[in-house]
Amino acid sequence: MPIIKEVCSTGIEELDMKMSGGYPLGSTVLVTGCSGSGKTTMCMQFLFNGARKGERGVFFTITEPLFKLTKNLEGFAFYDKKLIESGMVNIIDLRIISERLGLDTEKYTVEDAGALLDILKDIADELDVKRLVIDSITALCYRLQSPQMIRDFIFKLGTSLAVMKCTTLLTSEVPPQTFKFSQYEIEEFISDGILFLGDVKRKGDLIRTLQIIKMRGTAHSRTKFALNISTQRGIELIPLLKSSEFEFETLLK
Amino acid sequence: MQDTVIESIRERVSVAIEVNQSVGIQVPENRHKDLLEAIFHSMCRNTYDIWTFITVNQTFDYLTKTFKEITKQPNIKFIDCISRAAGISDNSNNCFFLESPVMLENLILEVMNNFKNKKEAMSNAKNKKSDIDKYIVIDSLGALLIYNDSEIIRKFYSLVMNRSRAENIHVVSIFVEEELNSNQLIQFNDKIIVVRDSFID
Repeated sequence: MPIIKEVCSTGIEELDMKMSGGYPLGSTVLVTGCSGSGKTTMCMQFLFNGARKGERGVFFTITEPLFKLTKNLEGFAFYDKKLIESGMVNIIDLRIISERLGLDTEKYTVEDAGALLDILKDIADELDVKRLVIDSITALCYRLQSPQMIRDFIFKLGTSLAVMKCTTLLTSEVPPQTFKFSQYEIEEFISDGILFLGDVKRKGDLIRTLQIIKMRGTAHSRTKFALNISTQRGIELIPLLKSSEFEFETLLK
Repeated sequence: MQDTVIESIRERVSVAIEVNQSVGIQVPENRHKDLLEAIFHSMCRNTYDIWTFITVNQTFDYLTKTFKEITKQPNIKFIDCISRAAGISDNSNNCFFLESPVMLENLILEVMNNFKNKKEAMSNAKNKKSDIDKYIVIDSLGALLIYNDSEIIRKFYSLVMNRSRAENIHVVSIFVEEELNSNQLIQFNDKIIVVRDSFID
């Protein structure tokens, strides 16, 4: 397997170690998981860590209002307001952009989606960002009105991201307790990598997990890790203690 | 007689902990408190060492009421695995309250992070000691078996032992005789001490 030497640190030490130093530079990675699995935190940690290294980043949100997003971030030690004020981390609400473009924020036509993509690309170019996040591709596609439109949009997004000179994380929402990478089952095909954030039940309690499903061009672990979110250290990983209980639950599904 | 036994446990445990990387101590329930007293004595005496005490048997609140001197030690961090699960809301700078005793991975992360943080803090201190010894005390494996399957506990213990060896951390594990069967796990240790009613093997 070819090992890509140029990598973009994930901001999570243990995760970097599991994939030869980080995300391959310029790749598009799908971060998939159910609500509360740590997708947004993982993306934010990626952006703030990059900003500390002088790599500008942008976070496009379509699910949460900006004030709510930043309020949730304030508790984390990796969060630094100054990095937002200095423009090293940019958080942009795509719904506000849609409004300014005169688009219907709830329903997009093919043209609307195309215009939004162009704006997104222009912002990334203008800010010269090295790290980009779209949270979430599921919510973005939800606004498109037919499966055909969703397919077209996702492939167009893939083409646009491929020519951008930044490493991109796309979050994808899936129902809880399912081993599925995306809502529309196309998102994974435009991605160079997939991180699956799930959970396992142990004696009725839920343990968050992370698994690297694919990461093109890099040697990576495929084992399942337990994931913990702490305010002091953000996301941390440790090998999951597996038992036959988990295997049995998976077989039942 | 009572004092002689405590003194004897204290000395034996203290020496074994310093010399061996891992020590398993089997103790009858009626000597459990004496053993804790002996271990806390070692912890309070070696203030330059870093200690993490994992309690699954008694709540942190109970321990601090019973052994008052331990709360004053900045080198000791407690991890209480049972208070949150029992719905007891307690807060302390000296203690991390684990959400549930089945969240064993979080328990290991907390232990490792505690050593990392404490070591950094002590390295920055003025009167720093060149070699800081690190210790984990688990009280007890049998109590963890109340909440978890034995298969998971075996893997947990193996992971703790392997990471501890890699990071040069001493592990002291308490096995209470009357608790659920965890006795085969004691074999993981470099040194085994058996405390009996009136003497030590």
